[in-house]
Amino acid sequence: MILRLSWLLLAATVRAASLSLQSPRFTISASDATQLRSDTLSLTKKPEPLTLGATDTLKLTFQITDNDEGKGVQPHQTFLRFYDKVSGEEGIQPVRVTPGGKAKFELNMARPPTSIPPTTQNPLEVSLILGSFVHAPAKYDLFDIYLPASQTPAEHPDEASFHVLPTIEHTFRPEQKLPPQFISAVFAAAVLSPWVVLIGLWGKVGVRVPHLFSPSIVPFTVLLGGFEVLLVWYWVDLKLGQVLLYGGMLAIPTVFAGKQALYTTGEWRAGQK
Amino acid sequence: MAGPKSSSKSSSASSETSAAIATLWKSYLDETPDRLKFIDAFLSFIVLSGVLQFAYCVLVTNYPFNAFLAGFASSVGQFVLTASLRAQVNPENRSEFKDVSPERAFADFALGSIVLHFFVFNFLG
Repeated sequence: MILRLSWLLLAATVRAASLSLQSPRFTISASDATQLRSDTLSLTKKPEPLTLGATDTLKLTFQITDNDEGKGVQPHQTFLRFYDKVSGEEGIQPVRVTPGGKAKFELNMARPPTSIPPTTQNPLEVSLILGSFVHAPAKYDLFDIYLPASQTPAEHPDEASFHVLPTIEHTFRPEQKLPPQFISAVFAAAVLSPWVVLIGLWGKVGVRVPHLFSPSIVPFTVLLGGFEVLLVWYWVDLKLGQVLLYGGMLAIPTVFAGKQALYTTGEWRAGQK
Repeated sequence: MAGPKSSSKSSSASSETSAAIATLWKSYLDETPDRLKFIDAFLSFIVLSGVLQFAYCVLVTNYPFNAFLAGFASSVGQFVLTASLRAQVNPENRSEFKDVSPERAFADFALGSIVLHFFVFNFLG
């Protein structure tokens, strides 16, 4: 327990150390190795913005030292951050640092690394970010750089669904129309003509109903007629529950009347035989 | 019956057919009981009714389609019920329908008709 506490205290004191950047330099050279621009970087003032053509190369060198002793150190994390303030895009490029603290970074626009963010006409702000377990972290704003604009990215296949879609115009089938009145009337008469045929045929056959009005038959026929009236009433006015209820109520006397009527006709038929 | 004395074969065939039909018709009129003729008149009425409704649907419009279906179904259903009534009531079929008395057949017919009418009116709209 005491040992752990003492390690913590030691770590706390060590962490008080800080990093510093020594002699940062940049060089921009063309594809045929002619030097276009070269300068040292000041930590207090950014230089004029750099411009990199499509075939140019940027070389950046610096050394990282421990502030107190001036000895080169290799921090645990060294990143170059390319940030586009207007679009908000950023890219992080790790930089390899030797154990002696020396670092070299090369950016060849003919074969750019994938860590460069999408570029537009606006410049990228380049900063160096250092992280270490035993030093305080450090961030240095180095320079602004204009890189060639990148191609616009391909449109995502779902892009359309993130915008207002075009209004759907529905086309409905036209309303069905009734045929003209005259044709309707003609065919109505045609369809009712079979009744005339039926009456004629029945007249020819000579319908004989000797017992139609006898008291054992009449209730049955009247109740059957009542059922038909109920159904027409249902067609015109009633609801399903009502017609079922009335139908059920009518059914009971109909059953008895029917049994009576048909028993009687059966007797007549047996009597005739 | 004496065959026709016409010389050409086709006319003899057709007149044989027409002679056969005439014989059939005469036998029907003479031998069918009146009650069965009564039912037959009703059957022909139903058939005619159904055919005319169908002709209207094909020729003019099927606009209230449910109405056409209801009407046509009522023709077909009523035809089926009446035909089965006629079959069961026919005295010559007595051997086939021993346990169904004509009165029972009529009761079935009445019940079936009422149920059919109920469904038809329901669908008629």
